[in-house]
Amino acid sequence: MMLALIDNAFLSVIAAAIPASTVVVLAATGCLLGERVGVLNLGQEGLIGVGAVYGVIAVTSWSVTSPWIALLLGMFAAAVAGVLFAVAVVVFRASQVLAGLALALGGIGLSNQLGTNRNGTPIKVLFTEVNPWGAFDDGGLLEAFLYHDPIVYIAYLVLPAILLFVLFHTRHGMNMRAVGENPAAADAAGVSVSWSRFGYTVLGCAISGAGGAYMVLSFTPTWSPDIARGRGWVALAVVIFAGWKPFRVVAGALLYGAMISLDATAQARGWELPLLKGSNLSFFLSMLPFLVTLIAILVPAGAAKLTSRKVPTAAPAALAIPYSREER
Amino acid sequence: MSGFRLERRVDASPQAAAWSRVAGAVVALLVSGLVLLLTGRNPITILFDALDAIFGSQRGLEGTALRAVPILMTGLAVALSLRMKVWNIGSDGQFLMGAFAAVGVGIHLGGPSWFVLIVMALAATAAGALWIAVPAFARAHWDVNEIITTLLLNFVAVQLVAWASLGFWRDAGAAVIQSTEKVPVVLPALPGTEQLTVALLVPLAIAVVLAWVFRSTKVGFEIDIMGGNPRAAVFAGINVKRRILIVMLVTGAIAGLGGMLQLSAPGAQALSPGFSAQFGLSGFIVAALAGGSFRGVIVGGFFIASMFFAGLVLQTKGLSVFIIFGIYGIILMGVALGEVAAKYRIVKAMSPAGVAPAPVSP
Amino acid sequence: MSVTPAAGHNAIETRNLSKLFGGVAALDGVDFDVARGEVHALLGENGAGKTTLSNILSGIYRADAGELLVDGAVSEFKNPAQSIEAGIGMVHQHFKLVPTMTVAENMHLGWSETPRIISQKVLGERAQALMDEVGLRVDPQAKVWQLSVGEQQRVEILRVLARGARLLILDEPTAVLTAVEARELFDVMRRLADGGRSVVFISHKLREVLEVSDRVTVLRNGQRVATRATEGATVNELARLMTGEERSLQVEHRKVTGDPILVLKDVNAQNDRGIPALHDIDLAVRSGEIMGIAGVSGNGQTELAQVITGLRPLTWGTIHLDGVEISRKSVRNIADLGVGHIPEDRIGVGMVASAPVKDNAALRSYWGSELSSGIRLRRNAVVEFAERLVEAGRVRTRSVFATAGQMSGGNQQRLVARREALVASRVLVAAHPTRGLDVNATQEVQSSILERRDAGCAVVFLSDDLDEVLLMSDRIAVLYEGRVVDVVSAADAERERLGLLMGGHV
Repeated sequence: MMLALIDNAFLSVIAAAIPASTVVVLAATGCLLGERVGVLNLGQEGLIGVGAVYGVIAVTSWSVTSPWIALLLGMFAAAVAGVLFAVAVVVFRASQVLAGLALALGGIGLSNQLGTNRNGTPIKVLFTEVNPWGAFDDGGLLEAFLYHDPIVYIAYLVLPAILLFVLFHTRHGMNMRAVGENPAAADAAGVSVSWSRFGYTVLGCAISGAGGAYMVLSFTPTWSPDIARGRGWVALAVVIFAGWKPFRVVAGALLYGAMISLDATAQARGWELPLLKGSNLSFFLSMLPFLVTLIAILVPAGAAKLTSRKVPTAAPAALAIPYSREER
Repeated sequence: MSGFRLERRVDASPQAAAWSRVAGAVVALLVSGLVLLLTGRNPITILFDALDAIFGSQRGLEGTALRAVPILMTGLAVALSLRMKVWNIGSDGQFLMGAFAAVGVGIHLGGPSWFVLIVMALAATAAGALWIAVPAFARAHWDVNEIITTLLLNFVAVQLVAWASLGFWRDAGAAVIQSTEKVPVVLPALPGTEQLTVALLVPLAIAVVLAWVFRSTKVGFEIDIMGGNPRAAVFAGINVKRRILIVMLVTGAIAGLGGMLQLSAPGAQALSPGFSAQFGLSGFIVAALAGGSFRGVIVGGFFIASMFFAGLVLQTKGLSVFIIFGIYGIILMGVALGEVAAKYRIVKAMSPAGVAPAPVSP
Repeated sequence: MSVTPAAGHNAIETRNLSKLFGGVAALDGVDFDVARGEVHALLGENGAGKTTLSNILSGIYRADAGELLVDGAVSEFKNPAQSIEAGIGMVHQHFKLVPTMTVAENMHLGWSETPRIISQKVLGERAQALMDEVGLRVDPQAKVWQLSVGEQQRVEILRVLARGARLLILDEPTAVLTAVEARELFDVMRRLADGGRSVVFISHKLREVLEVSDRVTVLRNGQRVATRATEGATVNELARLMTGEERSLQVEHRKVTGDPILVLKDVNAQNDRGIPALHDIDLAVRSGEIMGIAGVSGNGQTELAQVITGLRPLTWGTIHLDGVEISRKSVRNIADLGVGHIPEDRIGVGMVASAPVKDNAALRSYWGSELSSGIRLRRNAVVEFAERLVEAGRVRTRSVFATAGQMSGGNQQRLVARREALVASRVLVAAHPTRGLDVNATQEVQSSILERRDAGCAVVFLSDDLDEVLLMSDRIAVLYEGRVVDVVSAADAERERLGLLMGGHV
């Protein structure tokens, strides 16, 4: 009986975390894609905004009736923003930190300006839940756990699986990783560094944009100002936390979502800890993901230093370093 | 094989780089105008409205100067870190923690107001330094990149401030905006102004001191060497790790003091979730624009503050506050590209003696 | 890839090839051809244009003028992929490998014949098959960062052979090898040429060129000065072609007696990866003596220079200067005691390219009372100091306010050498001080080192060019795997024996 209670509580937290974290999973996956080829994209917060606002515009102003089309339009808008970013950092080799923050700010500004007149407009074109595991439609917790819209399955299972396969089991993925690790070596071996970086940066931006579009087409489902609310920054942290591995990104994002939904569950059920009651617990839980990520970054670095072992880190070695073939 | 082509230089002269960044920012402003036009607004009208809002009255000028204080403080903090090629992206968090510590002192400590203000300033300075201490130590001793670690702590600070404002230091009597209790002391007013306090003098003084440090002292020389080439700094016998740690702590302290200055302006005096209107980001843009020049930070800081203030005023005319973010973004992109452009120069394409067609081999 | 080259054409040929960097011709109208089945040596000093030429052949740089013929057909490579496609394989001096990937993965990078779907097992088997075929072996599943330098080079060669390279370009391949490894490499080169491939062997080591090549082309200042059959050529003749003059520097090897002023005892230290790099080093250098350190690079030279100058901590042992222990002192203390250091990586370590010349001039003495008072740096004094140093060192720069990065490599080295000579009142550690310099600059730097010697300095002279060590030193210590295997007097040192010692054959 006791066990069942714990089980149910745990399941309900996870069940709530899954949709809440989908946007983070998508943004972090997009971010991962760019970072694997050596491009640090600090612009996630802006890309989520752009993806979201164009998702809204598609269904409210362009009378798009399919959530899929709206999602694609949101992705396309984010990809256009991504092209600007990629031109700056890949073609002109501008500082990825400056250009990335510019993308974040520009995206936040643009999306909120466009969203001003659409605040709170309920979105009617929505993704609908599917239940591929039909056996569990018992109306209980298992159903809540396994009953989501298709984007959730794509974000949590399909996309990471594809990425994992491509990165580690195909020739193309091996070349991609080489571009992120040592562009000069990849270049000398005949891999086009510029095209890899450009292409995957833009594709990564589109996937991050899909995160934003998903929010308005399923999760919230409406436009509200500053829609990303820091999730883009969380996504950046999740990628590091995950050591640049696709399924660990999913786990990291879920952990983040779990802390948020643990808060909601705790509020609803009146749980309390001795020191952290009510809203205190909620504040504590909302800063926890950032602290956990910080610790996840620091512990391996410190441990490596203390044991004085020099093993290459998980980070792509050429991350955020512009590549120029003829630099002497 | 004639005409012109772009050639990359090893490094640009500081002057060329500075002008190139400014040119990038100017182009960015023009692009911003174009974007406004495309979204159905008249940029010329907006420009004149903005100029009127800023320069049309003493209120406008003072409003700009008032916003300049936090932006200058975070800008100086980031610029100092940039001198060392370190990105302190966490100045917003340090700023908030400075304000947090100042509120804590201000609402709990009694005594003459000058005494309370001094303790507030010290606490804020310490809190700002403390907030960057972990990233600074990790960067100095464990080679952990500071970009993400400093950034992460911003969000922790935001939550901590929200917690204080809505939780443990909440002013039960506050009606509309939820905030902490008010600090009973304010900084002395600046003579001849309505809203300004001596806080405005602090960033100016810090800029003067920093400029002097980098022009005339060994420490400044050493920080520049470290920024230019950390391995050469080790070769010159500089204790690079300790210096990175100390300078990063100082940048945190400056941002933290900024939080206290903002808090002890008349009318502010309390901490609320929206206490920092992304001042850290504004400061970051200022520092990027100034490229590590402290004189540049002062000029750029007032420029960005005027835009910020104009944005606040123009909200009443139907502009979203977020449009300022958009323009910031475009400016930052302009600066990033301008920085690269300075590394290129246009040269006449070469015409070596060997261009003549080679004799056909037998 | 399966195109059979038409008979009667050179494997590769260039006509009037030119390339400019910053308005300076790195390559100036060069004609060059390589026949099939030959080992063709490309000889020249550092900066003569060898690497630039090979980078054009391998598609890394694009020529500014001239043309390139592959198997008789005019070609232009826009990128390395096209060069590889044309059957040209480049083995770079600085290996272009991804350290975090396995040997098998590195061999298959960017290769169109790599299976689209891969696994470590498949790649490993393919790599193994090729290794068996060519007779070069490395563990296919090892990560590259764990390999020795010689093994990494094998991976590079295997990679280009895998792609069916008909022309191999080896850029200074022996610089990092032991004598035994170099001999093995020569065997491989010979086998490849006998099998119908062509090999371009880039080197500035005359003996190796004479040993392995069929023909030799000499470059100087970006121009071709000669192409001839190797047979019948002599070291002196090639040296004259390469440098444009006879080596005129004559150094008297002296037997220096008297008390040693720099004494290393039982010195042990680790390298950057935390692996022991120096073992029980005992060395004593006397006043007015040049102690040459011979050895293949990577055998502890870098670490040796660093422990003496305080840049690297000792794990065991002591270093005394004039009887005072300095092994626990800071870099700055050691410099103040009169130890100067010309570091091997002068741009990466010895100077700040983005800073003005004046700051670079002051880099190792700005804290002294001449340039500082209290916390203040006396900017005017720095400028005057720099102007004097630039003048005395014959450093050509627009002004002391121009950035050091704008100067040529030779002038940067002059600046560093002069600066360190001023620091070195007792000891000068000179690590590869003439690397990358033209003949004149080389002689200037060598003269300035001899000047320090004659002024009574103890000089530690490190170079991977054995001829230079023989020329400069009074005594020679041979480093092999972090140990001093022998110390001999330069006057009666035999080249052959030193070569064997450097390869660990005691």
